[in-house]
Amino acid sequence: MSRDTLRVRLLQIVSVVALLAIWEGVARLGWVDPLFVPAPSAVVGAFGRIGRSALAGLGDTLLKTAVAYVLSVVLGVALGVAIGSVRALREVLSPFVIAVYGMPKILVLPWIVLILGFGTAPAIVYGTIHGLFPILVLVMGGVRDVDRTLVTVARAFGASTWQLYWKVLLPAIVPTVLAGMRLGIVFCLLGVLIVEMFAGVRGMGYVMGSLANGFQAPELFAATALVSAASIAIVLGLDALNDRLSHWRG
Amino acid sequence: MSDLIVVEHVGKRYQTSSGPIEALHDVSLAVGAGEFCTVIGPSGCGKSTLLGMLGGLVTADGGRVLVDGRPVSAPDPRRVATVFQEAGLFPWRTALENVEFGLELQGVPRERRRAVATELLGPLGLRDFAAKYPRELSGGMRQRVAIGRALAIDTQIILMDEPFGALDEQTRLLMGEWLLEIWRRTRKTVVFVTHSLHEALALSTRVVVMTARPGRIKRVLELPMPYPRAMESAEMVGLRATLWGEIRDESLRAMGER
Amino acid sequence: MRVRLLRAAILAVFLLAWEGVARAANPLLYVPPSAVLPALRRLLALDSYPDLLPSVLLTLREIAVAYALAIAAGLGCGFALGLNRVIGRAYAPIVGALYAVPAVVWYPSLMLFFGLDAASKIAFGFLLGFFPITLAVLAGIRQVNPHMLAVARAFGARPLTVFVKVMIPAMMFTLVGGLRTGLALSVIGVIVGEILGSKAGMGALINHAYGLFRTADYVALVVVTLVLIVGSDAVAGLVERRAERWSD
Repeated sequence: MSRDTLRVRLLQIVSVVALLAIWEGVARLGWVDPLFVPAPSAVVGAFGRIGRSALAGLGDTLLKTAVAYVLSVVLGVALGVAIGSVRALREVLSPFVIAVYGMPKILVLPWIVLILGFGTAPAIVYGTIHGLFPILVLVMGGVRDVDRTLVTVARAFGASTWQLYWKVLLPAIVPTVLAGMRLGIVFCLLGVLIVEMFAGVRGMGYVMGSLANGFQAPELFAATALVSAASIAIVLGLDALNDRLSHWRG
Repeated sequence: MSDLIVVEHVGKRYQTSSGPIEALHDVSLAVGAGEFCTVIGPSGCGKSTLLGMLGGLVTADGGRVLVDGRPVSAPDPRRVATVFQEAGLFPWRTALENVEFGLELQGVPRERRRAVATELLGPLGLRDFAAKYPRELSGGMRQRVAIGRALAIDTQIILMDEPFGALDEQTRLLMGEWLLEIWRRTRKTVVFVTHSLHEALALSTRVVVMTARPGRIKRVLELPMPYPRAMESAEMVGLRATLWGEIRDESLRAMGER
Repeated sequence: MRVRLLRAAILAVFLLAWEGVARAANPLLYVPPSAVLPALRRLLALDSYPDLLPSVLLTLREIAVAYALAIAAGLGCGFALGLNRVIGRAYAPIVGALYAVPAVVWYPSLMLFFGLDAASKIAFGFLLGFFPITLAVLAGIRQVNPHMLAVARAFGARPLTVFVKVMIPAMMFTLVGGLRTGLALSVIGVIVGEILGSKAGMGALINHAYGLFRTADYVALVVVTLVLIVGSDAVAGLVERRAERWSD
């Protein structure tokens, strides 16, 4: 490890430890209300108490997220390729897509809940909507930006329309799709959590909301840490996958 | 022997934002089998358009384009292969897989594709680079892969649109020698678009000079000399002067000075 | 021209279909477009919600404060991390990792700490807007041509001068892009915060209409909120274009 990297690691570790120590000290000295800011030690203890229900909640959330994710990736890529590759469609529909993409989806959430009720359905629907649009816009752009020469070459060698899509377009947009998938997971998870907080009966969002309402600060912090860790792990996993699949790009 | 490629009175007009542009005007040309025919002319004279018509990528406004007696309406990979100025290699495919591309499109089974492509790598000088990706190859190597890709589908005709245009001069000279070698060995019919006087004179059996836009055929020079050409001989020097004489005016016109 | 006609046609077909389906299925729930206009009129006449104006102002105020804080902290952190190599290498990955967490997980903690008042919305809006600004500063610094800085220093310019006269203009474009994204996200943060639980503001009104099944009023409120959002982004867009001209 080079000296610089060593210094960086040291700094990171020292800062985290120092932060925790100061936090613990401040909490113990009673400088902050333990009702709002629990000591790290209390948070660790809380892990044990909420362990079971938090993990169940997390599992529920991740399940809904997975379903929403698959839907948004499949729909996002399919629609993105369809709209992006047909010039007429792209020209006419682009402003609509961009407009809906830019609109904060939360504004339609109450409506979705009114129609679909509480529970799993609105979470999956909303999660899908949340993840769909970034992927769609990204893939549309990726399709549009495919090197024209590659298409010309393929046509010169007699490629049929099907072959153009399968052997040129799809491989060419793999990096874009991967970027979209990386983006989409966070959006899907975000959407599902929002629904759970707004109108949930299950799942991490609901659990955290209840803990907040019950002023159970240590448990809430523990739950928050749990979800954050899961999210970071998922994103890191996708990043690693992305790297593996992009070896030809250099 | 009837001509393999026949172009009769074709024209091409494009609509641009600043009005219509006539790229080609009443162009007629015939290329016999086994010839190396170079098309040379100033920028914008429509040589790439003409090549595009031969390759089925551009439709002519009026006139006929016949390849092997048949009118051209779409790319015909059984008869014509094309090499472009930008190699146009698929970055996600290795050199070998790129060479295989045309065969893959035609449904040739994997074993056979692989065999044909691998065998081609030898003369292409790329045997050690079969598994490399385009980003790992130099410009000259990439063009060789592109040419290999065209050779792999074993067509009678190969069209080349300034294939060495993006390369430095030394690489160009070497590639020219190498291409000549390949052509003489395979006896294909080549239509070669270039800016380079040297390439036209060193490589071709016939040189077609085009005018500035709208492109017409200005002059056709036959070059029956044997290969390799002695470029410093009196004959070649004289031809070069003649060729440049024909082109110079057109180049000036294309640059807007006349 | 034809494209515009096609778009108008698509929009018209969409609205007509919506009108038809909504009326046939459940006009109260699905709110046909014809019900939206009268609701909008009622809203803007302060009939359905007399509190409209104070609510709008409160929401705007929350956005303004959240955004201001996001800019201050975002620029501060961004430059602190970007200009000092060791600190940057140490903490930038942490910022990146935190950005991978869906921001809404922080919200229950904010609600616990700040309650249901404006403070929690401001805090959430701040959190959302902070990250893109910090990341934009980092990206902007990274893309500045070190050659330019070396030349400036070779001419004897002091570090502060180099910073203000060379670095800032060079990264202006990226920076302004980040500021614009930061605004959009701060706006979303405040609105999400309000909808997830608040006593006042546009989100609270929306929640109120939703809770009482006043669907037409709800749609009208959403329209007004959208206008606000689009308006703020349009203003940001103008500023961005001005900066674009400047940095070239």
